[in-house]
Amino acid sequence: MLAIYKKEMRSYFTSIIGYLFLGFFLVVSGIYHVVYNMVSGYSDIAYALSGVVMVFILLVPMLTMRLMAEENRQKTDQLLFTSPLSITQIILGKYFVVITVLALAMVVVCIYPLVLTEYGTVNLVYAYTSVLGFYLLGCAYMAIGLFISAVTESQVFAAIVTFVVILITCLMDGIVGIMPTDNKSAWVIFAILVLVLAIVLYAMMRNAVVSVGIGLVGEVVLAVLYFVNPSFYDSSVTNFFGWFSVVSRFDQFTTGILDLSSVIYYLSLCVLFVFLTIQAIKKRRWS
Amino acid sequence: MIEVKNLVKKYGDHVAVDHLSFTVERGQILGFLGPNGAGKSTTMNMITGYISATEGTVIINGHDIYDEPEEAKKSIGYLPELPPVYPDMTVREYLNFVADIKKVDRKRKDYMIKDAMKKTKVEDVSERLIKHLSKGYKQRVGLAQAILGYPEVIILDEPTVGLDPMQIIEIRDLIKDLAKEHTVILSSHILSEVSAVCDSVLIINKGKLVLQDAPDMISKHLNKKDGLHLVVKGAKADVDAAIAAVPGVIQREYEEAKEAGTVKVTVYSDSESDIREGIFYALSDAKCPIFDMQSTTMSLEDIFLEVTKEEPKKRRSKKKTAKEEN
Repeated sequence: MLAIYKKEMRSYFTSIIGYLFLGFFLVVSGIYHVVYNMVSGYSDIAYALSGVVMVFILLVPMLTMRLMAEENRQKTDQLLFTSPLSITQIILGKYFVVITVLALAMVVVCIYPLVLTEYGTVNLVYAYTSVLGFYLLGCAYMAIGLFISAVTESQVFAAIVTFVVILITCLMDGIVGIMPTDNKSAWVIFAILVLVLAIVLYAMMRNAVVSVGIGLVGEVVLAVLYFVNPSFYDSSVTNFFGWFSVVSRFDQFTTGILDLSSVIYYLSLCVLFVFLTIQAIKKRRWS
Repeated sequence: MIEVKNLVKKYGDHVAVDHLSFTVERGQILGFLGPNGAGKSTTMNMITGYISATEGTVIINGHDIYDEPEEAKKSIGYLPELPPVYPDMTVREYLNFVADIKKVDRKRKDYMIKDAMKKTKVEDVSERLIKHLSKGYKQRVGLAQAILGYPEVIILDEPTVGLDPMQIIEIRDLIKDLAKEHTVILSSHILSEVSAVCDSVLIINKGKLVLQDAPDMISKHLNKKDGLHLVVKGAKADVDAAIAAVPGVIQREYEEAKEAGTVKVTVYSDSESDIREGIFYALSDAKCPIFDMQSTTMSLEDIFLEVTKEEPKKRRSKKKTAKEEN
């Protein structure tokens, strides 16, 4: 694992990508810091950071797009997966590198609150909780990017898909706002979702019995729920889609509360997508 | 050493490798022959654990590649079809990385890298970025990677592709040298290479094993009749009469002669009798001088074409008869 870690770290900092990432990130976070905290005089670093979240849309794909896609394209994955290393070790090695690069950027961000103490009283607990939340948010995005990179051979494809996915999670708050809240449309939306799930399952497994079965069971359960207990659907759509709003969880941190559920939410996203990456690679070997 | 049992790989309905079984003993070089798409690379990818098998298993050095992948992979060095090199690394950095992921003993690492570079003759480019190297050098760096750490089993997928004739000879010598301490499996399109290097040849077609034997034995499988090419001066009738009288001759095939006044003929005999002497004296007595005489033993190329072009059903029966004749 250490060998993979060292190799990836080297490749980020012998090429331009590592410097570009750090430079771009620090310029943007610096501008937000100056505008919000220095010029406008807010003592809370969280204001600046919630603006910086948007740069993840560009920066995460930049860092993660080549992680596995490039190995797949150059067939160097043959070297890795025929070496005595396990797939888990290889993927974790790569994941730790991207979150280390992000941590390097966070080290600089950690200086900002200290600078502010020169000008007045700053609640450092508030400040560092939001930095931690921001870092966890970034780690979750990196895991998503790693997963997307592992299922393709094209860096460009990986970059675009990661870009779109992160963009959607950033816009999710707004999307949830225009979602209907009544029971009937909630039922319809979930019915469509189950249908889509069944189709996706069929496309992946080519097993008509399983996919139709899951689809039918899902639809029946939804219908029964609607007729027996319609109140189950109360604001269920907004709750459901709100769950995907990765960014809104970050707001919990900005209030200075180390909200355990948000920490677990981000950590489970990281674990889930690293796990999915490993499974996707295993599946490709079996198909 | 390497035991392949009943290996099957299916991609949907397409069967890439079909119930393949063979074993390779320590110190042997096994050559893997087959036309494009025969399943050579797929089989190699399964032996090295890069892809999984639909059925069957591979045991390397007593370790099952699917049950104990880490142990089994420790004893494998693999050079895939495309050398798995990182273009942005220098040769030395790359080999250093490979040594690390192969978990090579730290104290011996430097020596091993040096030795691998020496054996594959890449020392003079050790500080250059791999992306600036020619195809032949990349191939050699890939080979250096495969032999690094002295794995007990070395698997090479078309190792001499992209090399110039001089390098091919060097690599062949290297492979022969490696077989003293390692077990080697190599695949190739170049049949002369296989017959020059390998102890045993395995021909597969459409995922199925067609033939396995020593290279010089293989020709005996199919070479039922020995032919003799002749160019003889004289009238066709005289020549034919003289040849037909020679004991052991079973068939005569005439071709258009290029030179005026000569006859071009291929004479076949049964495998027991040597007709060369008889032909010489018979034609000499008939006053028909021989301009050219050449015996036609089937080359590996002919055998290869023969066994891979036939229908599976026919081939199986032929294989059986070939065995019976032996």
